[in-house]
Amino acid sequence: MDFLTHLGMGFGIALTPFNVMMAVAGVLVGILIGALPGVGPPSGVAMLLPLTFGMDPTSGIIMLAALYAGTMYGGTITAVLINTPGESASVVTCLDGYQMALQGRAGPALGIAAIGSFIAGTIGVVLLMLVSPLLAKWALSFGPPETFALMLLGLTTVTLLGGEDPLKGYISMMLGLMLAMVGYDIISGDARFGFGIIEMMDGIDFLPAAIGLFGLGEVLAGAEQKGANQLKTSLKLRDVLPSVQDFVRTRWSIARGTTMGFLVGMLPGAGPTVAAFLAYTVEKKVSDEPEKFGKGEIKGVAAPESANNAAATAAMVPMLTLGIPGSATTAIMLGGLMMWGLRPGPMLFEKNPQFVWGLIASQYIANILLLILSTLCIPLFVRAVRIPYSILMPLIVVFCVTGAYSLKNNLWDVGQMLVFGVIGYFMKKLGYSPAALVLALVLGPLAERALRQSLIISDAGIGILFMRPISGVLTVLALLAVAVPVVRAFLRK
Amino acid sequence: MRNADRVTAALLLAFSVAFSAGALKQYQWWGSGGPGSAFMPFWLGLVMALLALMMLFRSLKEKNPGAAWFPRGEGLRDISVVLGVTVAFVAFLNVLGMVIGTAIYLAVLIGYLGRHRWWVTLAIAAGAAGFNWLVFVHWLHVPFPEGKLWIF
Repeated sequence: MDFLTHLGMGFGIALTPFNVMMAVAGVLVGILIGALPGVGPPSGVAMLLPLTFGMDPTSGIIMLAALYAGTMYGGTITAVLINTPGESASVVTCLDGYQMALQGRAGPALGIAAIGSFIAGTIGVVLLMLVSPLLAKWALSFGPPETFALMLLGLTTVTLLGGEDPLKGYISMMLGLMLAMVGYDIISGDARFGFGIIEMMDGIDFLPAAIGLFGLGEVLAGAEQKGANQLKTSLKLRDVLPSVQDFVRTRWSIARGTTMGFLVGMLPGAGPTVAAFLAYTVEKKVSDEPEKFGKGEIKGVAAPESANNAAATAAMVPMLTLGIPGSATTAIMLGGLMMWGLRPGPMLFEKNPQFVWGLIASQYIANILLLILSTLCIPLFVRAVRIPYSILMPLIVVFCVTGAYSLKNNLWDVGQMLVFGVIGYFMKKLGYSPAALVLALVLGPLAERALRQSLIISDAGIGILFMRPISGVLTVLALLAVAVPVVRAFLRK
Repeated sequence: MRNADRVTAALLLAFSVAFSAGALKQYQWWGSGGPGSAFMPFWLGLVMALLALMMLFRSLKEKNPGAAWFPRGEGLRDISVVLGVTVAFVAFLNVLGMVIGTAIYLAVLIGYLGRHRWWVTLAIAAGAAGFNWLVFVHWLHVPFPEGKLWIF
């Protein structure tokens, strides 16, 4: 069978010593980044991306994907121990996780999160492996109008789900699209908005922007609070293992979390954070004793933690098969793919099977590594989280500067990173969405090309989007995503 | 927050109008058989102008000034120092070189933010600068700015 040969080949690639090492490094750094408040998955992926430029793209993506999975678990550690989510997908874990910690059951909370993450991640990869080739084959028939409609949907949903204020979400997205217009126009060759500066004519690179917005921006926001929450506890390995009883009680929560996480994660725009919230809500609804939630119910940890890992895996599906990232993190990965010279989209499966299948196989390995490392090394991570902010923060800035510099070995990018760092700080403070900006910055040039190609082949102007069945449905969905918050705001009055 | 929204909305409005107008003036609206390079920027500017107007109206109608968002006192001081020292670090990168620059930067900032023993601060600064060099220059062959103080 074709499928098994591919998977076999994938494992052949993923199991080379260097790639296993990359997966271990990715998981370890990922857990650490997830656990450190202030640096989340997007900043982690953005900061480590420059390290992969010298590598084979397959090794690079193996490290980044392992890192993404690691961050999902790492965020749990601080959520449970100090009631501070290390990244947004673990926000909901605080509710019951911290209560469990107060009752002296921090260990089982972390343990069940690790087991749930492992199960969800592994099932997620199986589904990823089954769904992606089919979706890629289907997407091969997509023309420019379908591609544009998909991107439109991705951009509008990420904004819809992103923040509390949809208007500011849309403004962030439009700002990203406008910044994406800077530089050479692919079709006409005009250097747009360059103001005669050579570096500007190359356009605004997403990587310094992402490192600035997420890395430096977070650091500046943290400088103000001086890392108010500091961890004071420590944990022993013995404490981390949950009892068989805990596992039996939560097995259906894990299953529900996994299913929901995968489905939500596959949608463009809805990432692990939404998945975790949804899983928690559903878990509370189906429970016989909903009053226990929020008071240390282990199911309230197991379900969202499974959901966020399944969603992180599922988020790869649209990125790999359609070339459309569903979240800021996958947007940065997609940018990385393009920098490595690969073209994300349906052709990836045909043209670069070793890349795709190497990644899929490595995800199995990454999940096993995650289970082992997250239980064995918990005491270590707990200690690492106790690094004072005064030391951690300057180190992150140095890493941001070096990362931005190593992109093209010039200081222009470092300057760009600084500017975006300040922008990111203000965006965060004033309730805008840096994630929507980065997603739009990556998708901008692709969306523009797809739109202009659509208009070239169209006899009916923009109407072509509605005249073809697939693009019609997608465009209507995208318009609905814009309309929903407007209508909701109107009804409230 | 309300006043900040008003100012931001006005600025965005001006920016997006200039963006659209600039695109129309400078670049081609329609090329051979399809939209030219001014097409997309023009529409983006227009949509942004609309969003900015919506925010402007909303914030002008809003009576509640909202929570203070700009840092004050110690917070403002810390963030200015961090930002200032970081900008100085980048500005002098070509003079000091990456390795020395990093070490000095870390020593200054760690020393300012935390009251650690001086040798702890120096050890971290030197260690991190060396590690950075090891990863990027030695393994990844990124040519760091060498600086003008040192001859390696």
